[in-house]
Amino acid sequence: MTAIPDDGALVALALRGNPDAFATLVERYDRAVYHLAYRTLQDTEEARDATQEAFFKAFRSLRTFKPGSKFSTWIFAIAYHACCDRLSRRKRYTGSELPERADPSPGPEDQAIARDDARRLRAAIDALPEKYRTAITLFHLQGKQYEEIAEVLGLPLGTVKTHLFRAKEQLRRLLGEMEVT
Amino acid sequence: MYSDAYDPLDDAIAALPLEEPPAGLRASILLATAYRPAPLFSLGEYAAMGAMAAVAVWLVVLVVMGGGALFLHTLEAIGSTTARVLSNGATLAWLAAGGATALWMSLFTGFQPAAALPKRSQTPPRR
Repeated sequence: MTAIPDDGALVALALRGNPDAFATLVERYDRAVYHLAYRTLQDTEEARDATQEAFFKAFRSLRTFKPGSKFSTWIFAIAYHACCDRLSRRKRYTGSELPERADPSPGPEDQAIARDDARRLRAAIDALPEKYRTAITLFHLQGKQYEEIAEVLGLPLGTVKTHLFRAKEQLRRLLGEMEVT
Repeated sequence: MYSDAYDPLDDAIAALPLEEPPAGLRASILLATAYRPAPLFSLGEYAAMGAMAAVAVWLVVLVVMGGGALFLHTLEAIGSTTARVLSNGATLAWLAAGGATALWMSLFTGFQPAAALPKRSQTPPRR
C-alpha cells in the first residue's frame, strides 16, 4: 500500500515536472475553489472562469509557494483575489440578491427536511453582504482556522472574527425571518 | 465579542454540501495546466524555420529584381566563397575539431548516432 502524498509533497513533485502531482492537487481542490468562487461571485460562468484562472495562476507561480505553508490557503487566496478582481470590474457589492437555483429532486421525508434546511441556510448565506458571505464560505471550507481565513482575505485576525460574528448574527436573523414567512 | 463556544449554526454550516462544479471544469483546468499539450515545435525549430523562410524570401526577391542574372551571380559568389573556405587547411581542421567535440559531448547527453545502435541482426534472440 502506498502512502497518500500530502499537498507539500505534491507541489514539490509538480515543480520537478510531474504533471500527475499537479493534477492530484486540482482533483483535491477544484470543487472547494469553485464553491468559494461561486459563493463570492454568485454567477456560474464567472465562478467557472475564476476557478480556471486561480489554478492557472497557481500553476504558473508554483515556485513562489512557500514550503511548509498550506496549499489550500494559498489556492483559496489566489481564487479570492481573482473573485475580487471580477467583483471590482462589475462593481456589484450589494449582496442583497438571491440567485435562482434548481430544486433538488424529491426524496424521503427526512432528507427533504434536511435539504430544505440546507437550502434555507444557503439562501441566507447568499443574502449576506459580500464580505460576510466570503468569510462564512471560508469558515465552511476551512473550519475554525481563523488565521488561515485571515491570510486568504488579507485581513487582521480580529476583523475576521468580527466578520464571522456579525455574519452569524445576520444568518440567525435571516433564518428566523424565513421560518416566520 | 467572538466566542469559540459550541454553536449549532457552525455544524449546520459545516454540513452544507459544496457546490457542484460545471461538467468539464476539471478537464479544462488540467488541459490548461498539468496536461497542456506540448507545442508543435520548439523555440529552436521555430527560429530555424524563420531563418529558412527569410532565406527563401531573399532568394525570391533576388530572382524577381534581377531577372535571374543577379540570382545566378549571388549563387556563384556563395559557391566560390564556400570553395575558397573549404580549400583552406586551417578551416577544415577547425571544422573537424568542432565535429569531434560535438560527437564527444553527445556521449554524455545520451544521444546515440544511428551507426552506434545495434543492427536488427545483432539483437539477442528471444527465448
